[in-house]
Amino acid sequence: MATERTDLLQGTLDVLILKTLAPAAMHGWGIAQRIQQLSQDVLAVNQGSLYPALHRLEEKGWIAAEWGSSENNRRARFYSLTRAGRRQLAEETESWERFAAAVGRVLAAT
Amino acid sequence: MLKRIVSTMKSPFEGKRMESDLDEELRFHVERETEENVRRGMRPEEARTRALQRFGGIEKTKEECRDAGRAVWLESFLQDLRYAARSLRKNPGYAAAAVLTLALGIGANTAIFSVVYGVLLQSLPYGGGERLVRLRVDAPGAGIADGRFSPPDVADLRGSGDAFDAVSEYHSMWFVLLGRPEPERVQTGVVSANFFDLLGVRPILGRTFRTGEDQHGAEAVLVLSNSYWLRSFGGDPSVVGRVFRMNDRPHTVIGVLPPIPGYPEDNDVYMPVSACPFRSDPEVEHNRDAGMLRAFARLKPGGTLRGAQAQLNTLVARLEHDYPGSYPASIHTAVTPVPLRDELTAQARPTFLLLSGMVGLVLLLACASVANLSLARLVRREKELALRSALGASRRRLARQLLTESLLVALTGGVLGLVLAVGCRQLLVMFAARLTPRASEIAIEGPVLLFTLGVSLLVGLALGLVPALSSRRSLVTALQEGRDTSAPGGPARVKLRGLLVVAQVAISFVLLAGAGLMLRTLWKLAQIDLGFKTERVLTSRVDLNFSRYPEDAQKRDFQTKLLDKLSSEPGIVSAALAGNFPLSDRGPANGRFRIEGRPGAAPENLPVADFQRASSDYFKTIGVPILHGRGLSNVDREDAPKVAVISESLARHFWPGEDPVGRRIGLDGQHPTDEITWLAVVGVVGDVRQYGLLKPPTEQVYLSMLQYPGLSTTCFVRTSSEPRALERAVRAAVHTIGPEQPVDRFRTLEEIHEGALASPRLTATLLVLFAGLALAITATGIAGVIGFSVGARRREFGIRMALGALPRAVRAMVLFQGMRLVAVGLAIGLAGAFLLSRLWSGLLYDVAPTDPMTYGAVALGLGAVAAAACFLPARRATSVDPMVALRNG
Repeated sequence: MATERTDLLQGTLDVLILKTLAPAAMHGWGIAQRIQQLSQDVLAVNQGSLYPALHRLEEKGWIAAEWGSSENNRRARFYSLTRAGRRQLAEETESWERFAAAVGRVLAAT
Repeated sequence: MLKRIVSTMKSPFEGKRMESDLDEELRFHVERETEENVRRGMRPEEARTRALQRFGGIEKTKEECRDAGRAVWLESFLQDLRYAARSLRKNPGYAAAAVLTLALGIGANTAIFSVVYGVLLQSLPYGGGERLVRLRVDAPGAGIADGRFSPPDVADLRGSGDAFDAVSEYHSMWFVLLGRPEPERVQTGVVSANFFDLLGVRPILGRTFRTGEDQHGAEAVLVLSNSYWLRSFGGDPSVVGRVFRMNDRPHTVIGVLPPIPGYPEDNDVYMPVSACPFRSDPEVEHNRDAGMLRAFARLKPGGTLRGAQAQLNTLVARLEHDYPGSYPASIHTAVTPVPLRDELTAQARPTFLLLSGMVGLVLLLACASVANLSLARLVRREKELALRSALGASRRRLARQLLTESLLVALTGGVLGLVLAVGCRQLLVMFAARLTPRASEIAIEGPVLLFTLGVSLLVGLALGLVPALSSRRSLVTALQEGRDTSAPGGPARVKLRGLLVVAQVAISFVLLAGAGLMLRTLWKLAQIDLGFKTERVLTSRVDLNFSRYPEDAQKRDFQTKLLDKLSSEPGIVSAALAGNFPLSDRGPANGRFRIEGRPGAAPENLPVADFQRASSDYFKTIGVPILHGRGLSNVDREDAPKVAVISESLARHFWPGEDPVGRRIGLDGQHPTDEITWLAVVGVVGDVRQYGLLKPPTEQVYLSMLQYPGLSTTCFVRTSSEPRALERAVRAAVHTIGPEQPVDRFRTLEEIHEGALASPRLTATLLVLFAGLALAITATGIAGVIGFSVGARRREFGIRMALGALPRAVRAMVLFQGMRLVAVGLAIGLAGAFLLSRLWSGLLYDVAPTDPMTYGAVALGLGAVAAAACFLPARRATSVDPMVALRNG
């Protein structure tokens, strides 16, 4: 499947988006803010790649979009996690942890 | 690469709405960012600029968003397609079986639909369209079914009222056309000048007839049919304006017709009535009893058949009142308008509808069989699907993959089926041509292609939904429960497969019953006693050119010389001439006669018989037995007393228990004042199927050709060896005696007989083919399902046998399980066949549509095949070593 071959950066953004959406539905701007906030400003999300990623995830059926009213009472597109998205998130979280642990072990060995 | 393709493609699925959604979404982001910047203390303009800067190229982002959506859609579609192709390639047995089964089903449907569309559905190839009718005349009281009008009748029809905006007459004759390298006998449609305007046919070259060209004194003109023009003139446009001699007059070609059905007859040329020497004869023109014409009419715009019928009824009533001699009330003359569409297709409709129904069933069966195959395959793939589902593939995505796969199978089958149908087209046209003049309009194009595509898509969707529906539960649970591949795959699916087997058996029963009934019909038709012997007899038409042989003496001279010449030819056992050949598709030449010594009746109540002229050796040549008295002989010359030979059924009808030989029958003259001609009955001969296989033998009077010579003659020669080899000898003999005399339509009596059987034979062949296909598919289906369940229950059987169950009992159990399905299928099939029996009743001969013998034989045969299909896997059930089964199960 194509997802198995996606490059690390894109794959990373995807899993961050999924994670961000896990507790509640959110619009694009909110997602960007939230990632930046949670990573304590380490990860700045490039908007130029955020929206294509959202559309890709929606097309894959991992997230669903709906028009709703934003915190400042404006029409905004809200994204939420689907069941398949939740499964995907669990999967990717696990594989990320495995990956991070492995890298950590390698780096700690020296 | 993919991205480039995608971005150049303007996907039709993404309309304006999505575009504006994207705009709004991005605008919201920028505005929200601006707001945030303002909150942090920036001035509004600066805040906005910063927000835009941070965002980067909006257009670029939009483009990438669109691509992301499309790429995933297209990518996943291509992926599905690749995946489907790969998974089919990995399983070539399944793929081949499924594609081939569907190809046969779809191909058969395409082929039959092309016939149904070309003949029954497509609009008439005439501009006059649905307003065109043929006026049909019947007089049941005189034994006239679909008779002919006389010239005064046609004039009366024209003046009968305003229901029709045009009325035209038609008859067809053979004339000799001179001016080509050889004299050519051409079938000539003789019509009113408005005939083609009425039909709405425009010439492709020149013009058709003009008003007045059918009046006395008009120049003789000809319009060529398209096929004759192509056949004899190679499609040369310069033929318009050329002059040929016919009936001792110059005839100028004025136009060429487009390809239209050869209806009412497949004429070579058309001429206006004034050019026909018979029709324009003043004797005929005013004779109400000279019935020789057919009449066509066009309803006025908005006119109804009912209105036309009322007008025709009024006309008949008036004629009966004004001319009681020609239209006695006792014969119940009736004129009815018959829509031309019915005329052209009525004979073909029941056969084509039956075949459509049958191929529909074949397709249903093919689908059931492929569904069954793919269900069996699905069980084996369950683990794979469950794994993919666990790896994050959504249910929708998996269903879409299965759907893509079945669509791929169905479309491949459809393409292959189309190839099959195209290959069969020629055969189908030949078949249809026996039933309808519209056969040449059959083509595999436009609507037929759409039909095939539609059917393929429908089949693909249906087949794709079956696994999707049945996998609702088992898909996810499969992994959780850790089921292995030998498990039955869920009770719902076993039930579904059982149902599919029941459906297959039921459908097969209906198809087999249809084929069986048709075979019985064919057998009965072949058994019909024709009344003559078909072996080694060559027939040909020798229609005398009336302008060369106007006098009886000249005709007699030609005929006698021809017979003498033929009889002396080596290889010819005997030769004869007669007015018509047996099994002819023409109607009888009915005439009335008196019986000497019986009380005289009114002319219209006299007995009716079919009158046939024959030469002396006619009965001997075609093998009609002389039952009593003698046949015709050379002593029955014009100066000898007039004689008649009658058929057995006529003798029984009018002389029951008496000997008709020696009695006399009388023929009235043209006019009531004419003297009655008395003929002595000299013999009785066997009955002959003169007018078609299905029409009961006609009551016939045979006249001596020497006493009643005629123009239209059929020549018969019985040969000592292969009859076709004598064709040259017959041709040479005719040309020696009459150098300008055409002779054609060489056919053996066997070919004529075969021709009469051809259409039911082809229908039977097609049905047997379909039924055989159905039987094979069903047998494999049953064996597959039972085999599968045996495989799944190996452990159970092992335990049973370990506990002491006899292998026989286990086998019986498996057999019973399968046969229960078969029995249910048979019962449903029987009910279905009873319900559908009306569909084929019109095509059967001497066999009831619910013939118990056929149904019984079909049930037994199908049951036996099904039992065999169950038995093979049942044997496998007991061939298992209980210990092995227990250990490995």
